[in-house]
Amino acid sequence: MTGLRVPPGQPNGAPAQDGAQAGADGRTDETAAPGAPSRPAGQPGSFGLLGWARWGWRQLTSMRTALVLLFLLAVASVPGSLLPQQGIDPSAVQQYYLSHPALAPWLARLSLFNVFAAPWFAAIYLLLFLSLAGCVIPRSVRLARSARTPPPPAPRNLARLPQSARHESTLDPAAALDAAAGVLRRRKFRLRTGDGWVSAEKGYRRELGNLVFHLALLALLCSVALGGLFGYKANRLLVTGTSFANTVTALDEFHPGRLVSSSDLQPFSMTLNRFTASYVTSGPSRGQPLSFNAYVSYTAQPGGAVRHDNLRVNHPINVDGVRVFIIGHGYAPVFRVTDGTGKVVFDQPVPFIAVNTSGLTSQGVVKVPDAHPDQLGFAGVFLPTAVDVGGVLESEFPAPLNPRVSMISYRGNLGMDSGPPQSVYTLNTAGLTQLPVAPRPLAIGQSIKLPGGAGTLTFTGYRQWISLAITYDPGQLPALIAGLAALAGLLLSFFVRRRRVFVRAYPGPDGRTVVDVGGLARSDPAGGFGEEFTGLARVLETASRGPATETPSLTTTPGGKSD
Amino acid sequence: MSPLTRRIFRPAGVGRGAAAAALAVTSALAVAGCATSIAESTPASNGQSFVAGSPGTTEFKSGTGPVAPLVRGPAVGGGTLALSAYRGHVVVLNFWGSWCTPCREEAPDLSALAAHFKASGVRFLGIDIRDSPASAQAFMSDFRITYPSLNDPSDNLALDFRNTVPPAGIPTTLVISRSGRISARVIGGATYNGLKSLIQRAAAEPA
Repeated sequence: MTGLRVPPGQPNGAPAQDGAQAGADGRTDETAAPGAPSRPAGQPGSFGLLGWARWGWRQLTSMRTALVLLFLLAVASVPGSLLPQQGIDPSAVQQYYLSHPALAPWLARLSLFNVFAAPWFAAIYLLLFLSLAGCVIPRSVRLARSARTPPPPAPRNLARLPQSARHESTLDPAAALDAAAGVLRRRKFRLRTGDGWVSAEKGYRRELGNLVFHLALLALLCSVALGGLFGYKANRLLVTGTSFANTVTALDEFHPGRLVSSSDLQPFSMTLNRFTASYVTSGPSRGQPLSFNAYVSYTAQPGGAVRHDNLRVNHPINVDGVRVFIIGHGYAPVFRVTDGTGKVVFDQPVPFIAVNTSGLTSQGVVKVPDAHPDQLGFAGVFLPTAVDVGGVLESEFPAPLNPRVSMISYRGNLGMDSGPPQSVYTLNTAGLTQLPVAPRPLAIGQSIKLPGGAGTLTFTGYRQWISLAITYDPGQLPALIAGLAALAGLLLSFFVRRRRVFVRAYPGPDGRTVVDVGGLARSDPAGGFGEEFTGLARVLETASRGPATETPSLTTTPGGKSD
Repeated sequence: MSPLTRRIFRPAGVGRGAAAAALAVTSALAVAGCATSIAESTPASNGQSFVAGSPGTTEFKSGTGPVAPLVRGPAVGGGTLALSAYRGHVVVLNFWGSWCTPCREEAPDLSALAAHFKASGVRFLGIDIRDSPASAQAFMSDFRITYPSLNDPSDNLALDFRNTVPPAGIPTTLVISRSGRISARVIGGATYNGLKSLIQRAAAEPA
């Protein structure tokens, strides 16, 4: 690439501008100012500290480095999917420590249980960001400069250009040039005139498009960073008739950006008043959901005005820039548990998670840690529309037409009084004994009496729940705008040709004025400059034709042959 | 092709390649940014259904802690409770839930500390988070918790603390000095000795 900067046998003309243009190609040429003699890469002896710094910067901002860093980023994320991660599943990490006691501390030292927060991971993406910024910013400066540069003087020998034409004019050279300049000006070319020549250039919008694209790219990077630093994502499951507030203790999952603290959360609270779902009731798609409507009321801050809305799929609620989406729904059967001492120790809806979508058969567990004499646990299924299929109970429709639960009962130690935190959706049966209760599906109001005076479980009803995704991304709108601007700039730079037309007029050997026209498309992605040039040459010829001319001789040579 | 055209055509191609690569990099960064934030929160989240918060103790120098909001609301087991009724006392405010393992683990220590400091005027108050009355009362009788608890099914009390030291996870314990300022916060299960020294420190502060 460097060799291109000083090509041998450079045809006359356009020297100043092409320096900049050649610089724009190789990202490695970043620091070499256009026009300034570039530092020869093969002379390490002349490298001072500044030289090394410049060399390092040039390496960092080179295309190759950016690609290597991108590749490294991909490779570096691999351990994040192979090893358990502290941020995603801490109990799996603890498990890993137990099963690999020698290896685990070393992996931890290398941050392999927290890959995405590891210093080396941060180093990779910061370098990548720097590399991109270091590429894009100087390019933008160059593009801006290139968009303002007037066309270069006309080359001496226009016949050597890819497109050229020659005709004779009855006007004197100055008048012929004037006529040509008039034609070009009317066609919105940018003009520069000199002694015996006119040079014109058009298609500066290409540079504008390029510039917009590069700046938009920077804006996009910054927007992504903005979202990553100040945004957050959270999830919350909400049972009908209950409320929650957007505060960390009330959230099921919380993924804050780097600069988000728990006091930055927008303090809205929301109540789910009613939830309805409708399904296709007949035909081959029976059971398919038709619509979900979650009727919620919410306040933007404590004591604020209560607003009501209907939360639907693809119809999130926007509270202070935070968007709340409905991402799931299910059933929460309500259980009442009386322990061996006759005390009601549990009475609440328990969210069950759907294990199939056609009938919404849902699984869940009930943990009663404060039952006496023993802790009680139950695991089972909720069937919204239970039917008996050859002795096996199944749910054949997602709506609650015939709700049943079927539970397995345990007593013993739930493992909740010490040790690692548990999932509320699983039962750790290690310390539990299954009770010999004949499996019997319960209808609403029915109970299982546990043997040995352990207690009673009653299925008292059901409620529905929805799960909410709460997202705040301040970089989202800027990213969208930047993305659209980048696309627009890219399209502009693809479809606009930057082309130059040169005209020289001089007296020929027979005393008549010879007009040479040369043309050059600096970029011809869509093709078609040849036709444009031929047409233009014809118009120029017509314009330069005096009152009494003979049939002119028009010669147009296609490009690429002159050398 | 003439050298002139070659020089002019080549850059355009490279420029476009750079652009495409830059776009790819941006999307990779977006992915990385998202992943980073997940790691940052250290929640015991996946399937666990509550945010455990990063364990640790934060202490404030005397008189510099944020003023605790004077929360009030229905009590577990009936009646109403107000933090303002404890004005002039060192208050230990514990956010708990009967379903939460570290809360159950620390409960005996809290109960013992409440008994230990009762005579010296330290008051204990619980805020029961995401719980049902039946389970909460069973928990309190099971662990012989004699101090009262506010019931906070809608998380409004937790929200009231957002501008002071928001309880970042369950359990969280706040020690409030006699002047009504928060003097310490413990995220995660509190230990008998750790909490005891925090209470003594708050008690030593001027009112």
